Amino acid sequence: MSSKIRRCAPATLSLFSNTSARTPRACIVSQWLRSRGLTTVDSTPSQSVPLRKHLKDEAKRKKAEAKGSHNDIKAKTNPHSDEWKLTVGVEIHTELNTACKLFSTAPATAADSNGLPNTRVALFDAALPGTQPQFQRATLLPALRAAIALGCDVQRKSGWDRKHYFHWDQPNGYQITQYYEPFAKNGSIVLSAEDGVSKTDLSGTQSISIGIKQIQMEQDTAKTTHYAPSSYHVDLNRAGHPLIEIITLPQIHSPQTAAAVVRKIQAQLKSVDACVTGMELGGLRADVNVSVRPRGSSGNYSYGGVSGLGQRTEIKNLSSFAAIENAIMAERDRQIDVLEAGGVIEGETRGWTLGATETTRLRGKEGEVDYRYMPDADLPPLIIGSDLVDHLRSTLPELPDATVLRAQQDYGLSAKDAKTIATLDDGERLDFMEETVELVLDNLGDDQADKTKIGKLVGNWVLHELGGLLATSNIAWADVTVSETELADIITNVQLKRITSRTAKQLLATLHELPPDESRPSVEQLIDDGSLRLRPLSGEGYTALAEDIIAENPEMAKAVKDKGQKGKVMWFVGQMVRKGHEGTVEPEKAREVVERLLGS
Amino acid sequence: MHHLVRCTGLRAAGSLNASRRSAEFSTASIARSQKESILDIEKLLSRPTWSVSSLLPPKDSASDAPEVTSKQLHHLLRLSALPPPKDQQEEAKMLSTLSSQLHFVKEIQKVDTAGIEPLRSLRDETMQGEKEAELGMEAMKDALAQEEVRGKHHKRIRRRRDHTAAKQEEDWDVLGTAQRKVGRYFVVEGGKDK
Repeated sequence: MSSKIRRCAPATLSLFSNTSARTPRACIVSQWLRSRGLTTVDSTPSQSVPLRKHLKDEAKRKKAEAKGSHNDIKAKTNPHSDEWKLTVGVEIHTELNTACKLFSTAPATAADSNGLPNTRVALFDAALPGTQPQFQRATLLPALRAAIALGCDVQRKSGWDRKHYFHWDQPNGYQITQYYEPFAKNGSIVLSAEDGVSKTDLSGTQSISIGIKQIQMEQDTAKTTHYAPSSYHVDLNRAGHPLIEIITLPQIHSPQTAAAVVRKIQAQLKSVDACVTGMELGGLRADVNVSVRPRGSSGNYSYGGVSGLGQRTEIKNLSSFAAIENAIMAERDRQIDVLEAGGVIEGETRGWTLGATETTRLRGKEGEVDYRYMPDADLPPLIIGSDLVDHLRSTLPELPDATVLRAQQDYGLSAKDAKTIATLDDGERLDFMEETVELVLDNLGDDQADKTKIGKLVGNWVLHELGGLLATSNIAWADVTVSETELADIITNVQLKRITSRTAKQLLATLHELPPDESRPSVEQLIDDGSLRLRPLSGEGYTALAEDIIAENPEMAKAVKDKGQKGKVMWFVGQMVRKGHEGTVEPEKAREVVERLLGS
Repeated sequence: MHHLVRCTGLRAAGSLNASRRSAEFSTASIARSQKESILDIEKLLSRPTWSVSSLLPPKDSASDAPEVTSKQLHHLLRLSALPPPKDQQEEAKMLSTLSSQLHFVKEIQKVDTAGIEPLRSLRDETMQGEKEAELGMEAMKDALAQEEVRGKHHKRIRRRRDHTAAKQEEDWDVLGTAQRKVGRYFVVEGGKDK
């Protein structure tokens, strides 16, 4: 039992008490709470953008920019948007990757896991009278790694506060958070064009830095599902899950950059194992605050120490990168329209639904006073030892930028391939490639091989050849039977010109089909058994083979000889490789012969 | 309401009492006790020197607390999940009560709490106590043991998921206290949509 039972007065009633003193009544606050967009989700699966598509979009965007067309192609809905300066700050909520809830030992299993509702609930999570919160110290590992990865100052002493509101997703009547004294402050994240930052935000520099105001730990809410007309089903499994909220400074000036910031923060959190799932699985949600002011002028508002801004509005609960970008664009345009028509922007909270063209008002924002924040007397302050912070800092796993750079510099991969391989299969694919490179270099003997050359080659095999086999056979990376040793042996044989690359691909496909047991043959065995070893044809052999094929295809030969259609040479090469015995014809040599015979 | 929260600190209240006592109790009664050699306890206790009612508005005059509008009252009731007043009469009564409470709060706010850190709870605040509460490497030993490093070249720290952290699935009937349920869900009745 996690939570200590306090010997305490019995009169307190919990939300779910069946005491007759409390008769059921339609909740008078429901409408208002719903208007606050607090938690009730008629959950629509959020739309994720797969990495490949993201890379493609980025490439497209770059091309468009190079052509001189303006950035933010689809953003130009308001004709005057250039005359206004947009300012955005982001708040990101993400579930921490840890075994227990924040204040009880009930398991904190990922949001998407299919368990029975209301089974992972400690007494405290259901707010039974007399139960007390017990901070689960293991939560600190992912929380601190997140703070360190985002360059924050970890506070030796921080505190817990209650944020009060009544809703059925919150059995206690308050959420425990770190309002007055968060555990991490003053971080930053650096983004470059590679991360999808818009050109205007970069304004000629290589990269920009966005400040992180603070990171706080807090409890997640229960999951509620709406059943029309007015019933709500409550599952407390998620209630009390540890979250961190990451608050950036309002230093972002385009919708595209805002999405890039969230994407990059998510990637950093994943790389240090701090979060469970990304946005695509509902493990990460974002709120954005948006303001505009005429370019070159200064507004009267100040947020997080950044002054001279316009009145801002907040858009809550965005659960995909596309939603972040689109919601900001829509809100920017709405604000410009209002201001150009002589109106005033109200400080308020707004909502956005996927596919909408405008944000909708949820409620006015009178200030945070409504939440009646106060220190939680049940919890001692959180005191974090500097030895722990130092240890986590010195053992912090490599961050995504460094990984991509390493894949490019050490292994000669293109930027695109480096990014792809670093992201695939939780880094397993990259490790596989690195091990294969090492084995190939060993096989070849150090001195004659260039690591970036072999790296690029192996990268191609792992990403494209093996990747292709995975795609066509619909097999997950975890079930791949081909080992690093096998792939290294295949590639070594090609490098030493013992087999053709066509043979090599067939070998890989064969091994891909075989189960990983004792019956599995070695690469050498397969080569021997199939007589696949390259037996080079003699010079005469090549000539004879080429002459045969030229004689059979006089029209084609004429096209090359008389019309100079050099492209057709390769057609002859292809014919020779096909007609020659398996593993005997090398394309380069065949080409030389064809070119000589056809005098091109 | 907000201000009430801000000065909830017991220390602030304590210092109020102390100052009152020194102002009215000690100066008056102790001075007297020096004159009369024998302290007349009975007489001393017969009449209180201070009452909480001094912080409430006089019954006949209106409170000088800021007026609370009907709209604000309803807002506060919503925040507290309390039912709205049945009729005008009840609303007037609520407003009057609230107004005298605010008068009280204003009196409390007159206490100068500058530089006083609110007392949140009673804990060992000594250096030694803080050191004992500190979460450092030693405290995190078990949690760190639940992690592993994956990869030979591309090293990644991963929490072991197979491990079940605690005795788990606490042995109690979560839905046992539910008034309404459907399957394994609590059911609550909300307002109608729009």
